[in-house]
Amino acid sequence: MTDYFEVHDRDGAARLGELRLADPVTTPGLVDDVLADAGSEWTADRQIPEGDEASLTVLPHRALPGGTPEEVQAAFASDYPDVDYPSAAVVSPDTAADDGADAYVLSTAQSVAGHAEAFVDAIVRTRDAIPADSALYLPGVATPGNVATLAYAGVDLVDTDRAVVKGTRGKYLTADGEHFLEDLTELPCACPACQGPRADFDREDCVAHNEYTLRAALATVRERIRQGRLRDYLEGQARHEQWHTAVFRRLDRQYGYLEQRTPVIRRAEITAASDDTLRRVEIQRFAQRVTDRYRCRFDNPLVLVPCSARKPYSDSQSHGQFHDAVQFRAHTVSMTSPIGVVPQELELTYPAQHYDSVVTGDWSATELEFVSDVLGAYLRENEYPRMIAHVPAEYRPICERVEDDLGVEFEYTVVDHPTTTDSLANLASALAGEDKYRKRERQHNTLRAVADYQFGRGAGDALFEDIRVRARYPKLKAHDPGGEQLAALVPQYGVLSLTLAGARRWVDSAAPTKRVEIDDFVPHGSVLAPGVVDASEAIRVGDEVVVEGPNAFAVGRAEMHGREMAESTRGIAASVRHVAER
Amino acid sequence: MSKPSPEVYEQGRGMDAHNQAMREIRARKDETHDPTEPTRVWLDEDNTPDGVYDSLTIILNTGGCRWARAGGCTMCGYVAESVEGGSVSHEDLMTQVEKCLDHEDEHGDEPAGQVKIYTSGSFLDEREVGAETRQAIAETFADRDRIVVESLPDFIDAEKVADFTDHGLATDVAVGLETATDRVRHDCVNKYFDFAEFERAAADAADAGAGVKAYLLMKPPFLSESEAVADMKSSIRRCADVEGCHTVSMNPCNVQRHTMVEDLFHADGYRPPWLWSVCEVLDDTADEDVLVVSDPVGHGSDRGPHNCGECDDRVQRAIKDFDLRQDPSVFEQASCPCERTWEEVMDRERSYSMPLAR
Repeated sequence: MTDYFEVHDRDGAARLGELRLADPVTTPGLVDDVLADAGSEWTADRQIPEGDEASLTVLPHRALPGGTPEEVQAAFASDYPDVDYPSAAVVSPDTAADDGADAYVLSTAQSVAGHAEAFVDAIVRTRDAIPADSALYLPGVATPGNVATLAYAGVDLVDTDRAVVKGTRGKYLTADGEHFLEDLTELPCACPACQGPRADFDREDCVAHNEYTLRAALATVRERIRQGRLRDYLEGQARHEQWHTAVFRRLDRQYGYLEQRTPVIRRAEITAASDDTLRRVEIQRFAQRVTDRYRCRFDNPLVLVPCSARKPYSDSQSHGQFHDAVQFRAHTVSMTSPIGVVPQELELTYPAQHYDSVVTGDWSATELEFVSDVLGAYLRENEYPRMIAHVPAEYRPICERVEDDLGVEFEYTVVDHPTTTDSLANLASALAGEDKYRKRERQHNTLRAVADYQFGRGAGDALFEDIRVRARYPKLKAHDPGGEQLAALVPQYGVLSLTLAGARRWVDSAAPTKRVEIDDFVPHGSVLAPGVVDASEAIRVGDEVVVEGPNAFAVGRAEMHGREMAESTRGIAASVRHVAER
Repeated sequence: MSKPSPEVYEQGRGMDAHNQAMREIRARKDETHDPTEPTRVWLDEDNTPDGVYDSLTIILNTGGCRWARAGGCTMCGYVAESVEGGSVSHEDLMTQVEKCLDHEDEHGDEPAGQVKIYTSGSFLDEREVGAETRQAIAETFADRDRIVVESLPDFIDAEKVADFTDHGLATDVAVGLETATDRVRHDCVNKYFDFAEFERAAADAADAGAGVKAYLLMKPPFLSESEAVADMKSSIRRCADVEGCHTVSMNPCNVQRHTMVEDLFHADGYRPPWLWSVCEVLDDTADEDVLVVSDPVGHGSDRGPHNCGECDDRVQRAIKDFDLRQDPSVFEQASCPCERTWEEVMDRERSYSMPLAR
């Protein structure tokens, strides 16, 4: 049971949480003032401590530092008592398990901090072994430079120990690294400790500065999590130290760990300022769903166009011009870094209208490779009678690569720039004689495409075979032949929100349903984690979910991932949109 | 009184695990040694209850520690310094002793007043050094004033000790007690006897007219800096209370090859103690009714007890000075900004967050 820790907000593996002590601690945060260590059992037999609500009691432990042989770990691993006050259990990645504690202290922190491979392995293994709603404490390793990386990986609690010890050694810490105090001509900081003259600044001041800076770095991390933008910060900040960069790159390779924890929709914008952005879960997931789940339902030719800075693309001037030339005679797919390819039906769908990239007119080799891989995979899944590439010169290498890989040919229509009169005329004349598709077809195909993307391959047909569409794009609504609303397209995220009738269709359809099984109550507003009996593993934050129990059938949006719903004892599991009593 | 033996004690779960791990670790070592050469021999100076003596210190190359063959102590790499196969003949051992005497002739002005004999295991274990050899060695050094032989307590009895005291030698039996805390000795050091056995051995040695010198280990694995210091302070006080135990030699742990401590050290899970910790213990226990000395091996290196790298030699000198004079004021003269770091480590380091500073 985790009674004294609650996760309020999530940003990938990072969480904004609350250590619910008499004086609550917002996490990621410092535990210096609230930690009560009941002591090591290596030195003495310990009684179960009294404990209290004001502190996080570290239960009597035999800490196993890095390098402890496996058999010794197995022989000496601690057994922890069940206590009814805030408690922490000391574990190693090998011994970590659900010990019923609110927090877990990683005894190998000193061994793994600084070594990206070992660090990622330790965090991923430990996080997977302890309950999702417990806090993870890495003792003695936090610095202003590494806390963003620690939090990004899933660490909730840290302390000032290393920052203080470094200060006593004349190491001046900042978010961008570490300096020998004697090497600094001036103090690059405005904290209270750095107010005096440089000449008077001694190691005691350095200790104070390090603590202030660590606190500020933690506040930055917490704000970033609130905004859902820790990754964007980290892609820049982590570059100051190699192991930090290596950590997030290695975590990108631990796709399962991050994907499980990354929301499927959010308001925050993605800053695409480095090649690393291409490996973000949001980007990979979109590319994967577009190639694996989405299916083009139009019979018209393909027109590949460049993306626009303005989102959604259709709001941009350039896409307006493309549209005028195409005149509903082709299926428009935008090529973009870092997203890959965006079929016109998915231009609203997160993150297709939620990113901003650095535009220089040059593409990096990684971008070229990524976009051509996605385009290639897309064209293997979707066949077109003709393929027109209305793209500027810098996109040509991508198209040519795909032509070579797939043995296909594009018709190129751009002479200098896609929006010049000549280029647009070329595009229009290339489509001369092609049939126009109707508005109804466009609207139906849009709703079905989003359903495919959101619920799985074929879901668009399974859910929306016989629909009537009401309202105007982008606020499309799907109704059944009897007039009852099934779903609405949410323009902000480009996903569907279902009604109860839509949810029933989903349950009855072949498309895999994401279910939250609850106890015998009728949820209103939200479903709290303790009321969840079970939940589909595949649920991600932001997913549509069906909530079912003996007394209720409801539909809503997930606030936790599936495992977290099933394991957590605190927090909101899902927000409920519509509910019916049974 | 039950006599714990390696075989009996091995039944413990933790001990099984330690021994299995240590056997695997030691198996990485594949050196062999010449049975006619002593492992090491050197001349130095020691503070004893009878004053400061020149010492001839001998590490005999015997069959090696029996306990170490089962696995053994987590910090001890000396098993690797024994001959292959397990036993060394009387003749070979006496050849080693001859070579030690040659060394003394060559390097010393006159025969040392004190002789200290160690093996990689227990000198009084008759499987390492037979009665015949023991008696011959006693005979060889009968003209000296003092002799120190090292043994685990279970091999100590009045009869063996009398082989030396009968020659009129002031005799000390040195025991690798490591700590007075049974729990730490068992679970962190993986040494099998109890403090009660040490007390029994001291009493038997006293019956034969010999004294006991306890070797303590500062900072075995799994202990934080402050826990290690506290363990040494209490261990010294408990040793002081043991009849016949007149000297404590505190050895700060160093990282020896092919040991569990080395595995921990390589994985950043262990740091040898600070020299400030040694000073702190010596200073704090200076008033105890026991001679406390320390000769930090490998001081100033990553693998040995060390401070910041700037002050190590200075602080080591203060410790050696204390050994000879037992005057805690020597520590007042050693200072360094890194003492402040050490204070924070003492205050902040926990066994789950170590090492807080390298």
